[in-house]
Amino acid sequence: MIVLETCALPIDSEDDVVRVRTRVRDLAQRLGFDAFAVAAISTAASELTRNAWVHGHGGTATVEEVEEGGRHGVRLQFHDAGPGIADLPRVLKGGFSTRRSLGLGLSGTRRLVDDFEIESQCGVGTHIVVAKWARFGART
Amino acid sequence: MRSESQPDYMRRLKLDADELANRRRFFGITQEDLERLGALRPVAERHMTSIIAGFYDLLLEHPRTREFLGDPQLVNRLQRAQQSYFLGLFDGRCDLAYVEDRLRVGHVHERVGLPLKWYLGAYNRYLQLSAAALRKELPLAEAQLAEASLQRLVFFDLALAVDTYVAAQIETVARHRAAVDELSTPVIRVFDRVLLLPLVGTIDSARAQGIMETVLKRVSDQEAKVMIIDIAGVAVVDTQVADHLLRATAAVRLLGASTILTGISPQVARTVVELGVDISAMHTRSRLADGIELALSLLGRKITAAAS
Repeated sequence: MIVLETCALPIDSEDDVVRVRTRVRDLAQRLGFDAFAVAAISTAASELTRNAWVHGHGGTATVEEVEEGGRHGVRLQFHDAGPGIADLPRVLKGGFSTRRSLGLGLSGTRRLVDDFEIESQCGVGTHIVVAKWARFGART
Repeated sequence: MRSESQPDYMRRLKLDADELANRRRFFGITQEDLERLGALRPVAERHMTSIIAGFYDLLLEHPRTREFLGDPQLVNRLQRAQQSYFLGLFDGRCDLAYVEDRLRVGHVHERVGLPLKWYLGAYNRYLQLSAAALRKELPLAEAQLAEASLQRLVFFDLALAVDTYVAAQIETVARHRAAVDELSTPVIRVFDRVLLLPLVGTIDSARAQGIMETVLKRVSDQEAKVMIIDIAGVAVVDTQVADHLLRATAAVRLLGASTILTGISPQVARTVVELGVDISAMHTRSRLADGIELALSLLGRKITAAAS
Protein backbone atom coordinates (compact mmCIF):
# COMPACT_ATOMS: atom_id res chain seq x y z
CA MET A 1 0.00 0.00 0.00
CA ILE A 2 1.32 3.43 -0.94
CA VAL A 3 0.37 6.53 1.05
CA LEU A 4 -0.08 9.37 -1.41
CA GLU A 5 -1.19 12.08 0.94
CA THR A 6 -1.49 12.36 4.68
CA CYS A 7 -2.95 14.91 6.98
CA ALA A 8 -3.01 14.71 10.78
CA LEU A 9 -5.81 16.54 12.55
CA PRO A 10 -6.01 17.06 16.30
CA ILE A 11 -9.11 15.90 18.14
CA ASP A 12 -9.58 18.16 21.09
CA SER A 13 -13.14 19.35 20.94
CA GLU A 14 -16.51 18.15 19.74
CA ASP A 15 -16.18 20.55 16.80
CA ASP A 16 -13.35 18.41 15.46
CA VAL A 17 -15.93 15.76 14.56
CA VAL A 18 -17.17 18.07 11.82
CA ARG A 19 -13.67 19.15 10.83
CA VAL A 20 -12.41 15.60 10.37
CA ARG A 21 -15.60 14.47 8.65
CA THR A 22 -15.55 17.36 6.15
CA ARG A 23 -11.95 16.57 5.27
CA VAL A 24 -12.78 12.91 4.76
CA ARG A 25 -15.85 13.66 2.66
CA ASP A 26 -13.88 16.03 0.41
CA LEU A 27 -11.16 13.44 -0.12
CA ALA A 28 -13.66 10.64 -0.84
CA GLN A 29 -15.44 12.83 -3.37
CA ARG A 30 -12.16 13.79 -4.99
CA LEU A 31 -11.30 10.09 -5.36
CA GLY A 32 -14.56 9.46 -7.19
CA PHE A 33 -16.33 7.48 -4.44
CA ASP A 34 -20.03 6.95 -5.15
CA ALA A 35 -22.59 8.65 -2.90
CA PHE A 36 -23.05 5.56 -0.70
CA ALA A 37 -19.33 5.16 -0.14
CA VAL A 38 -18.95 8.87 0.62
CA ALA A 39 -21.73 8.63 3.21
CA ALA A 40 -20.22 5.46 4.68
CA ILE A 41 -16.68 6.76 5.15
CA SER A 42 -17.91 10.18 6.37
CA THR A 43 -20.13 8.50 8.94
CA ALA A 44 -17.27 6.22 10.01
CA ALA A 45 -15.05 9.30 10.43
CA SER A 46 -17.78 10.92 12.50
CA GLU A 47 -18.16 7.88 14.77
CA LEU A 48 -14.47 7.28 15.32
CA THR A 49 -13.59 10.94 15.89
CA ARG A 50 -16.37 11.23 18.45
CA ASN A 51 -15.24 8.01 20.11
CA ALA A 52 -11.71 9.37 20.41
CA TRP A 53 -13.11 12.57 21.89
CA VAL A 54 -15.70 11.11 24.25
CA HIS A 55 -13.97 7.91 25.38
CA GLY A 56 -10.31 8.61 24.60
CA HIS A 57 -10.30 12.21 25.86
CA GLY A 58 -9.05 13.41 22.48
CA GLY A 59 -6.15 12.43 20.26
CA THR A 60 -5.39 12.63 16.56
CA ALA A 61 -7.11 11.66 13.37
CA THR A 62 -4.90 10.98 10.35
CA VAL A 63 -6.62 11.19 6.99
CA GLU A 64 -4.73 9.51 4.18
CA GLU A 65 -5.10 8.93 0.51
CA VAL A 66 -3.72 5.47 -0.26
CA GLU A 67 -3.24 3.30 -3.30
CA GLU A 68 -2.95 -0.44 -3.63
CA GLY A 69 -3.00 -2.51 -6.79
CA GLY A 70 -4.23 0.45 -8.82
CA ARG A 71 -7.12 1.16 -6.47
CA HIS A 72 -7.36 4.38 -4.55
CA GLY A 73 -8.76 4.59 -1.07
CA VAL A 74 -9.19 6.64 2.05
CA ARG A 75 -7.42 5.38 5.14
CA LEU A 76 -8.18 6.87 8.53
CA GLN A 77 -6.14 6.36 11.68
CA PHE A 78 -7.34 7.35 15.10
CA HIS A 79 -5.03 7.54 18.06
CA ASP A 80 -5.97 8.33 21.57
CA ALA A 81 -4.21 7.95 24.91
CA GLY A 82 -7.41 7.34 26.82
CA PRO A 83 -8.30 4.49 29.19
CA GLY A 84 -8.51 1.89 26.41
CA ILE A 85 -11.28 -0.62 25.84
CA ALA A 86 -11.49 -3.39 28.46
CA ASP A 87 -13.75 -5.85 26.68
CA LEU A 88 -12.99 -5.40 23.02
CA PRO A 89 -14.88 -8.46 21.67
CA ARG A 90 -18.03 -7.34 23.46
CA VAL A 91 -17.76 -3.77 22.20
CA LEU A 92 -17.20 -4.99 18.64
CA LYS A 93 -20.28 -7.17 18.87
CA GLY A 94 -22.39 -4.04 19.38
CA GLY A 95 -25.06 -2.97 21.80
CA PHE A 96 -22.62 -2.43 24.65
CA SER A 97 -22.15 1.05 25.99
CA THR A 98 -20.52 2.55 29.05
CA ARG A 99 -22.32 5.85 28.55
CA ARG A 100 -25.94 5.01 27.93
CA SER A 101 -25.59 5.68 24.22
CA LEU A 102 -26.58 3.20 21.55
CA GLY A 103 -23.26 1.38 21.82
CA LEU A 104 -23.19 0.74 18.10
CA GLY A 105 -20.35 3.08 17.15
CA LEU A 106 -17.55 0.56 16.68
CA SER A 107 -19.58 -2.42 15.52
CA GLY A 108 -21.53 -0.25 13.09
CA THR A 109 -18.43 1.50 11.80
CA ARG A 110 -16.87 -1.86 11.08
CA ARG A 111 -19.70 -2.64 8.66
CA LEU A 112 -19.35 0.74 6.94
CA VAL A 113 -15.72 0.30 5.91
CA ASP A 114 -13.70 -2.25 3.91
CA ASP A 115 -10.76 -2.62 6.31
CA PHE A 116 -10.94 -2.31 10.06
CA GLU A 117 -8.19 -2.84 12.60
CA ILE A 118 -8.21 -1.98 16.26
CA GLU A 119 -5.62 -2.17 18.99
CA SER A 120 -6.49 -1.14 22.47
CA GLN A 121 -4.62 -1.48 25.72
CA CYS A 122 -6.05 -0.56 29.07
CA GLY A 123 -4.39 2.53 30.46
CA VAL A 124 -2.42 3.11 27.25
CA GLY A 125 -4.94 4.04 24.61
CA THR A 126 -6.62 2.95 21.43
CA HIS A 127 -5.45 2.90 17.83
CA ILE A 128 -7.96 2.26 15.07
CA VAL A 129 -7.22 2.05 11.35
CA VAL A 130 -10.01 1.88 8.80
CA ALA A 131 -10.01 2.09 5.03
CA LYS A 132 -12.58 2.41 2.30
CA TRP A 133 -11.64 1.74 -1.32
CA ALA A 134 -12.95 3.32 -4.47
CA ARG A 135 -14.50 0.90 -6.93
CA PHE A 136 -12.41 -0.01 -9.94
CA GLY A 137 -12.91 2.45 -12.72
CA ALA A 138 -13.63 5.34 -10.37
CA ARG A 139 -12.02 8.61 -11.36
CA THR A 140 -8.84 9.22 -9.44
CA MET B 1 -11.87 57.07 30.93
CA ARG B 2 -13.89 54.56 29.00
CA SER B 3 -16.44 55.36 26.35
CA GLU B 4 -19.89 53.86 26.72
CA SER B 5 -19.57 51.46 23.82
CA GLN B 6 -16.25 49.93 24.73
CA PRO B 7 -16.49 46.43 26.11
CA ASP B 8 -14.74 45.71 29.34
CA TYR B 9 -11.59 44.17 27.91
CA MET B 10 -9.78 44.48 31.24
CA ARG B 11 -12.17 42.04 32.81
CA ARG B 12 -12.53 39.87 29.75
CA LEU B 13 -8.79 39.48 29.32
CA LYS B 14 -8.39 39.01 33.09
CA LEU B 15 -5.96 41.89 33.17
CA ASP B 16 -5.37 42.40 36.86
CA ALA B 17 -2.22 43.37 38.75
CA ASP B 18 -0.95 39.79 38.59
CA GLU B 19 -1.41 39.44 34.87
CA LEU B 20 0.20 42.83 34.32
CA ALA B 21 3.24 41.84 36.37
CA ASN B 22 3.48 38.60 34.40
CA ARG B 23 3.33 40.35 31.09
CA ARG B 24 5.87 42.98 32.10
CA ARG B 25 8.24 40.27 33.21
CA PHE B 26 7.77 38.31 30.01
CA PHE B 27 8.37 41.31 27.77
CA GLY B 28 11.33 42.34 29.93
CA ILE B 29 10.02 45.77 30.79
CA THR B 30 11.97 47.13 33.76
CA GLN B 31 11.54 50.27 35.82
CA GLU B 32 14.76 51.44 34.18
CA ASP B 33 13.16 51.16 30.75
CA LEU B 34 10.20 53.22 31.86
CA GLU B 35 12.38 55.90 33.45
CA ARG B 36 14.55 56.08 30.35
CA LEU B 37 11.50 56.57 28.15
CA GLY B 38 9.96 59.04 30.61
CA ALA B 39 13.08 61.19 30.42
CA LEU B 40 12.76 61.28 26.63
CA ARG B 41 9.29 62.77 26.67
CA PRO B 42 10.45 66.23 25.48
CA VAL B 43 12.18 64.58 22.52
CA ALA B 44 9.01 62.62 21.80
CA GLU B 45 6.90 65.76 21.89
CA ARG B 46 9.20 67.48 19.40
CA HIS B 47 9.03 64.61 16.91
CA MET B 48 5.48 63.49 17.52
CA THR B 49 3.84 65.23 14.60
CA SER B 50 6.29 64.05 11.98
CA ILE B 51 6.39 60.47 13.27
CA ILE B 52 2.62 60.15 13.26
CA ALA B 53 2.44 61.75 9.85
CA GLY B 54 4.98 59.17 8.60
CA PHE B 55 2.95 56.41 10.18
CA TYR B 56 -0.21 57.50 8.38
CA ASP B 57 1.72 58.09 5.15
CA LEU B 58 2.40 54.37 5.07
CA LEU B 59 -1.28 53.57 5.69
CA LEU B 60 -2.41 56.06 3.08
CA GLU B 61 0.06 55.18 0.35
CA HIS B 62 -0.82 51.50 0.45
CA PRO B 63 -4.05 50.95 -1.52
CA ARG B 64 -5.48 48.27 0.76
CA THR B 65 -5.08 50.28 3.93
CA ARG B 66 -6.13 53.52 2.25
CA GLU B 67 -9.55 51.98 1.67
CA PHE B 68 -10.00 51.73 5.39
CA LEU B 69 -9.01 55.31 5.96
CA GLY B 70 -11.07 56.82 3.17
CA ASP B 71 -12.92 59.18 5.50
CA PRO B 72 -10.74 62.23 6.35
CA GLN B 73 -12.70 62.72 9.57
CA LEU B 74 -11.85 59.20 10.62
CA VAL B 75 -8.17 59.82 9.86
CA ASN B 76 -8.30 62.96 11.98
CA ARG B 77 -9.82 61.09 14.88
CA LEU B 78 -7.37 58.23 14.59
CA GLN B 79 -4.44 60.64 14.36
CA ARG B 80 -5.51 62.30 17.59
CA ALA B 81 -5.76 58.89 19.20
CA GLN B 82 -2.31 58.08 17.85
CA GLN B 83 -0.85 61.27 19.37
CA SER B 84 -2.03 60.35 22.80
CA TYR B 85 -0.91 56.78 22.16
CA PHE B 86 2.55 57.90 21.10
CA LEU B 87 3.10 60.24 24.03
CA GLY B 88 1.86 57.48 26.31
CA LEU B 89 4.98 55.50 25.42
CA PHE B 90 6.99 58.26 27.09
CA ASP B 91 4.90 58.62 30.22
CA GLY B 92 7.34 56.49 32.16
CA ARG B 93 4.66 54.15 33.41
CA CYS B 94 3.20 50.79 32.56
CA ASP B 95 0.37 50.28 35.02
CA LEU B 96 -3.23 49.13 34.73
CA ALA B 97 -4.42 52.56 33.55
CA TYR B 98 -1.78 52.37 30.82
CA VAL B 99 -3.02 48.93 29.81
CA GLU B 100 -6.61 50.14 29.66
CA ASP B 101 -5.56 53.00 27.43
CA ARG B 102 -3.72 50.56 25.08
CA LEU B 103 -6.74 48.32 24.87
CA ARG B 104 -8.81 51.31 23.84
CA VAL B 105 -6.45 52.04 20.95
CA GLY B 106 -6.70 48.41 19.81
CA HIS B 107 -10.46 48.57 20.13
CA VAL B 108 -10.71 51.72 17.98
CA HIS B 109 -8.73 50.09 15.16
CA GLU B 110 -10.65 46.85 15.43
CA ARG B 111 -13.94 48.74 15.28
CA VAL B 112 -13.06 50.53 12.05
CA GLY B 113 -12.19 47.13 10.60
CA LEU B 114 -8.47 47.65 10.06
CA PRO B 115 -7.10 44.12 9.51
CA LEU B 116 -4.53 43.09 12.07
CA LYS B 117 -1.81 42.51 9.43
CA TRP B 118 -1.86 46.16 8.39
CA TYR B 119 -1.97 47.27 11.99
CA LEU B 120 1.12 45.19 12.83
CA GLY B 121 2.92 46.29 9.68
CA ALA B 122 2.28 49.91 10.52
CA TYR B 123 3.74 49.41 13.99
CA ASN B 124 6.96 48.34 12.35
CA ARG B 125 7.07 51.70 10.57
CA TYR B 126 6.37 53.34 13.89
CA LEU B 127 9.44 51.79 15.46
CA GLN B 128 11.65 52.72 12.50
CA LEU B 129 10.54 56.34 12.55
CA SER B 130 11.02 56.58 16.29
CA ALA B 131 14.46 54.99 16.07
CA ALA B 132 15.51 57.49 13.39
CA ALA B 133 14.34 60.39 15.57
CA LEU B 134 16.16 59.04 18.62
CA ARG B 135 19.40 58.70 16.66
CA LYS B 136 19.12 62.26 15.50
CA GLU B 137 18.77 63.51 19.06
CA LEU B 138 20.99 61.21 21.12
CA PRO B 139 24.52 59.77 21.04
CA LEU B 140 24.43 56.33 19.42
CA ALA B 141 24.85 54.24 22.59
CA GLU B 142 22.06 56.09 24.37
CA ALA B 143 19.83 55.97 21.32
CA GLN B 144 20.29 52.21 21.12
CA LEU B 145 19.33 51.76 24.76
CA ALA B 146 16.27 53.93 24.26
CA GLU B 147 15.32 51.99 21.12
CA ALA B 148 15.54 48.71 23.00
CA SER B 149 13.34 50.05 25.81
CA LEU B 150 10.87 51.44 23.30
CA GLN B 151 10.77 48.17 21.41
CA ARG B 152 9.95 46.22 24.56
CA LEU B 153 7.10 48.54 25.40
CA VAL B 154 5.76 48.59 21.84
CA PHE B 155 5.73 44.79 21.73
CA PHE B 156 3.91 44.79 25.05
CA ASP B 157 1.36 47.12 23.44
CA LEU B 158 1.12 44.96 20.35
CA ALA B 159 0.22 41.95 22.46
CA LEU B 160 -2.62 43.98 23.96
CA ALA B 161 -3.79 45.11 20.53
CA VAL B 162 -3.83 41.51 19.31
CA ASP B 163 -5.76 40.55 22.44
CA THR B 164 -8.47 43.10 21.71
CA TYR B 165 -8.79 41.78 18.17
CA VAL B 166 -9.01 38.20 19.38
CA ALA B 167 -11.50 39.11 22.10
CA ALA B 168 -13.67 40.90 19.54
CA GLN B 169 -13.56 37.85 17.25
CA ILE B 170 -14.51 35.51 20.07
CA GLU B 171 -17.42 37.75 20.90
CA THR B 172 -18.53 37.77 17.26
CA VAL B 173 -18.40 33.98 17.13
CA ALA B 174 -20.42 33.74 20.35
CA ARG B 175 -23.01 36.12 18.93
CA HIS B 176 -23.28 34.10 15.74
CA ARG B 177 -23.54 30.92 17.74
CA ALA B 178 -26.45 32.38 19.67
CA ALA B 179 -28.12 33.48 16.44
CA VAL B 180 -27.64 30.04 14.89
CA ASP B 181 -28.97 28.36 18.02
CA GLU B 182 -32.07 30.44 17.78
CA LEU B 183 -32.55 29.58 14.13
CA SER B 184 -31.59 25.95 14.45
CA THR B 185 -34.88 24.64 15.81
CA PRO B 186 -37.58 26.39 13.80
CA VAL B 187 -40.68 24.46 14.72
CA ILE B 188 -43.41 25.12 12.16
CA ARG B 189 -47.08 24.36 12.63
CA VAL B 190 -48.10 22.77 9.32
CA PHE B 191 -51.61 21.80 10.34
CA ASP B 192 -53.74 21.76 13.42
CA ARG B 193 -51.81 19.56 15.92
CA VAL B 194 -49.09 18.74 13.38
CA LEU B 195 -45.65 20.30 13.85
CA LEU B 196 -42.64 20.21 11.56
CA LEU B 197 -39.01 20.56 12.57
CA PRO B 198 -36.64 20.80 9.60
CA LEU B 199 -33.12 20.01 10.80
CA VAL B 200 -30.13 21.40 8.92
CA GLY B 201 -26.40 20.98 9.41
CA THR B 202 -24.61 19.28 12.23
CA ILE B 203 -26.24 18.06 15.39
CA ASP B 204 -23.78 18.16 18.25
CA SER B 205 -24.64 17.43 21.87
CA ALA B 206 -25.42 21.04 22.75
CA ARG B 207 -27.72 21.42 19.79
CA ALA B 208 -29.38 18.07 20.38
CA GLN B 209 -30.28 19.20 23.85
CA GLY B 210 -31.75 22.44 22.51
CA ILE B 211 -33.74 20.50 19.92
CA MET B 212 -35.13 18.17 22.57
CA GLU B 213 -36.22 21.07 24.78
CA THR B 214 -37.82 23.03 21.94
CA VAL B 215 -39.61 20.00 20.56
CA LEU B 216 -41.08 18.99 23.91
CA LYS B 217 -42.13 22.51 24.75
CA ARG B 218 -43.86 23.06 21.42
CA VAL B 219 -45.57 19.66 21.40
CA SER B 220 -46.91 20.38 24.85
CA ASP B 221 -47.85 24.05 24.23
CA GLN B 222 -49.67 23.31 21.00
CA GLU B 223 -51.11 19.99 22.13
CA ALA B 224 -49.60 18.49 19.02
CA LYS B 225 -50.34 14.91 18.07
CA VAL B 226 -47.64 14.54 15.43
CA MET B 227 -44.11 15.88 15.25
CA ILE B 228 -42.49 15.59 11.83
CA ILE B 229 -38.70 15.78 11.90
CA ASP B 230 -37.19 16.35 8.48
CA ILE B 231 -33.50 15.46 8.21
CA ALA B 232 -32.96 16.20 4.52
CA GLY B 233 -30.49 18.93 5.51
CA VAL B 234 -28.50 16.88 8.02
CA ALA B 235 -25.08 16.10 6.60
CA VAL B 236 -24.38 12.81 8.35
CA VAL B 237 -26.60 10.58 10.46
CA ASP B 238 -24.26 8.71 12.74
CA THR B 239 -25.13 6.75 15.87
CA GLN B 240 -25.15 9.89 17.99
CA VAL B 241 -27.61 11.71 15.73
CA ALA B 242 -29.75 8.57 15.59
CA ASP B 243 -29.56 8.33 19.36
CA HIS B 244 -30.77 11.94 19.73
CA LEU B 245 -33.64 11.32 17.32
CA LEU B 246 -34.70 8.17 19.18
CA ARG B 247 -34.60 9.94 22.53
CA ALA B 248 -36.68 12.80 21.16
CA THR B 249 -39.16 10.24 19.82
CA ALA B 250 -39.39 8.49 23.18
CA ALA B 251 -39.93 11.80 25.00
CA VAL B 252 -42.53 12.97 22.48
CA ARG B 253 -44.36 9.68 22.89
CA LEU B 254 -44.57 10.27 26.64
CA LEU B 255 -46.51 13.42 25.78
CA GLY B 256 -48.93 11.33 23.75
CA ALA B 257 -47.68 12.35 20.32
CA SER B 258 -45.98 10.44 17.49
CA THR B 259 -42.87 11.28 15.57
CA ILE B 260 -42.43 10.96 11.83
CA LEU B 261 -38.93 11.07 10.39
CA THR B 262 -38.74 12.36 6.82
CA GLY B 263 -36.15 13.53 4.33
CA ILE B 264 -34.15 10.32 4.45
CA SER B 265 -31.81 9.98 1.49
CA PRO B 266 -30.87 6.56 0.10
CA GLN B 267 -27.33 7.05 1.45
CA VAL B 268 -28.58 7.83 4.93
CA ALA B 269 -30.96 4.86 4.83
CA ARG B 270 -28.16 2.48 3.97
CA THR B 271 -25.70 3.97 6.46
CA VAL B 272 -28.20 3.77 9.30
CA VAL B 273 -28.95 0.12 8.51
CA GLU B 274 -25.25 -0.75 8.35
CA LEU B 275 -24.65 1.00 11.62
CA GLY B 276 -27.24 -1.34 13.06
CA VAL B 277 -29.44 1.42 14.45
CA ASP B 278 -33.03 0.31 15.00
CA ILE B 279 -35.31 3.21 14.24
CA SER B 280 -38.51 1.17 14.15
CA ALA B 281 -39.77 3.29 17.06
CA MET B 282 -40.28 6.13 14.58
CA HIS B 283 -42.58 6.37 11.63
CA THR B 284 -40.41 7.09 8.62
CA ARG B 285 -41.09 8.43 5.17
CA SER B 286 -38.59 9.30 2.51
CA ARG B 287 -40.25 12.54 1.43
CA LEU B 288 -41.66 15.32 3.55
CA ALA B 289 -44.89 15.36 1.51
CA ASP B 290 -45.47 11.68 2.39
CA GLY B 291 -44.76 12.49 6.01
CA ILE B 292 -47.43 15.18 6.03
CA GLU B 293 -49.94 12.77 4.47
CA LEU B 294 -49.11 10.20 7.11
CA ALA B 295 -49.51 12.82 9.84
CA LEU B 296 -52.96 13.69 8.59
CA SER B 297 -53.98 10.06 8.39
CA LEU B 298 -52.85 9.61 12.00
CA LEU B 299 -55.32 12.38 12.83
CA GLY B 300 -58.04 10.67 10.76
CA ARG B 301 -57.86 13.20 7.96
CA LYS B 302 -56.64 13.10 4.41
CA ILE B 303 -55.86 15.32 1.48
CA THR B 304 -58.26 14.84 -1.45
CA ALA B 305 -58.49 16.44 -4.84
CA ALA B 306 -61.00 19.28 -5.00
CA ALA B 307 -64.23 18.27 -6.73
CA SER B 308 -64.28 19.90 -10.13
